[in-house]
Amino acid sequence: MSEALRSGLRLVRRALSRPAPAVSVAYLMVLASAALLARPLGLDPLEEDVARMLEGPSWEHPFGTDELGRDILARAIFGARTSLTTAAGAVLLAAAIGVPMGLVAGFFGGWRDAVLMRLVDLLLALPGIMLALALIAVLGRSQAAALVAVGLTGVPTFARVARAQVLSLRRREFVLAVKAFGASPGYTLVRTVLPNAWSPILAQMIVLSSVAILLEAALAFLGVGIPPPTPSWGEMLRTGKEYLYDSPTYAVLPGLVLTLTILAFDTIGRALSAVLEGRDAPAGRPAGAAP
Amino acid sequence: MIGFVVRRLLQLLPVLLGASALIFAMIYAVPGGPVAVLVGENATEEQIALVTQQFGLDRPVVVQYRDWLLRALGGDLGQSLHSREPVLKLIAERLPATLQLAVAATAIGIALGIPVAVASALAQGTWLDRLLSGWSALALGVPTFWVGILLILLFAVELGLLPAASAYVPFWEDTWQALRHTILPALTLGLYVSGISARFLRGSLVSELASDYVRTARSKGLTERVIVQRHVLRNAMLPFITVVGIALAGCIGGAVVTESVFTYPGLGRLVVQAIGTRDYPLVQGAILVILIIYVLINLVVDLLYVYIDPRIEYG
Repeated sequence: MSEALRSGLRLVRRALSRPAPAVSVAYLMVLASAALLARPLGLDPLEEDVARMLEGPSWEHPFGTDELGRDILARAIFGARTSLTTAAGAVLLAAAIGVPMGLVAGFFGGWRDAVLMRLVDLLLALPGIMLALALIAVLGRSQAAALVAVGLTGVPTFARVARAQVLSLRRREFVLAVKAFGASPGYTLVRTVLPNAWSPILAQMIVLSSVAILLEAALAFLGVGIPPPTPSWGEMLRTGKEYLYDSPTYAVLPGLVLTLTILAFDTIGRALSAVLEGRDAPAGRPAGAAP
Repeated sequence: MIGFVVRRLLQLLPVLLGASALIFAMIYAVPGGPVAVLVGENATEEQIALVTQQFGLDRPVVVQYRDWLLRALGGDLGQSLHSREPVLKLIAERLPATLQLAVAATAIGIALGIPVAVASALAQGTWLDRLLSGWSALALGVPTFWVGILLILLFAVELGLLPAASAYVPFWEDTWQALRHTILPALTLGLYVSGISARFLRGSLVSELASDYVRTARSKGLTERVIVQRHVLRNAMLPFITVVGIALAGCIGGAVVTESVFTYPGLGRLVVQAIGTRDYPLVQGAILVILIIYVLINLVVDLLYVYIDPRIEYG
């Protein structure tokens, strides 16, 4: 293990040892294990029991049952699979597009910077959710469409973070030294600048996971996200809202799981960026990124 | 100053042109393209020939875009496929509802956000600051649709005080009914906006408090209260204007979800419904209008910022 990696891990451990991030990590671990073990444990999100529709919480169905008599807890756990995988895919997509954009824009400057940053402006010309809605209007309603739509709204954040990193790194001695040895721009960028720019980008990935989960759920709530019968938290809230008078817990409990998940990612991400940037101020979420 | 305004507008031009081109291109990205959108996928040869002729779909795409843009600038956004009414009319009917909601939510968001920001900036680094900063994280992280559902459960289902579904009642026509119908959606959206405004304002207050004139005032022996009231808040009024703009801009996006929770007949719900019914001209028109409003709010914020503070370079 290299010294850099070891000191990085020390920082991460320090960031996560405070109470709020520690609780968040524990919560996410429970959620992820439940999602992974759901099938082996015999949970079925699609098993209907019309004799027991819209029941409140009970020993047998801790979150109650939905309008088809399906177990809401099982659906919430399977919803975690949908939500977490879609969000992870969206964040990776956003980073895969945004980071190279920011690196090139910041490193080369000039016309490349101007063109790439206008592209970022273009993505920011609409509120994130409107951009996602426009994309879904074109792509149709599917899990892939939700992933791409959520992912593209995250591109500007990564482009800006990466660009800011490069701008602060490119005049540093070690980068100038590599250049002076005759390294090509590509080598300098990928082998020298990028390894030193990683940590804020990684912290941003965790913060953006919370935004992605929120946005994916919002799309499902609007009825344009991942189509049923795939269980998703947003879709459960959408349906649960129809039965507020009959079964108030239907919408409330899955919403609670969703909210805790979003807050957990946000807490961990901000704790990490605070430690990495050596300051206590939160990196902040792009205003208006998701409702 | 005029030079700055012109430069800023010129900077916007490629963004607006690019965005409008993408909105125009939406209809070409749909499977089957514009013909399928207009006549359905199982149309006869004659029908296809007719719409191709009627809408000039056989002309070069660039020419079609130019004509579409010129018509849009003239206020003709085409016809809804669903109701056969002019798109602009449908949008104009919904716009006042969204504006009323946005103004109410911005007012609530700022009324909540300012005290939170001031208190947490003054108590920097203490438990109170952490608690209040947690407020922003909470306001931004908790999904508005869940907050809305909880509010409906409490005020409509349990207490029966307010309607569960909100209609649009113009504020000047029937103030009491307007308040009854707007308060829950406005509160839902306002809580979210308070997170945006508190986080932004705290940042600017913290940097104000660290500036030289505050140190001078302190060394003169002024009390913290006087320093904050006479000096810091006055200087923080500058970002306040920005906060209003940012809050309003946040409302534009947030309204989409909030309107759906309360089945409130605004512009955001119109877009969602139009996507559901594949009414592409309506989707395109509504997104174009929202784009223009959003970009204009951000532009006005930028311009006011420079206008109010002569120290800022017109760069």
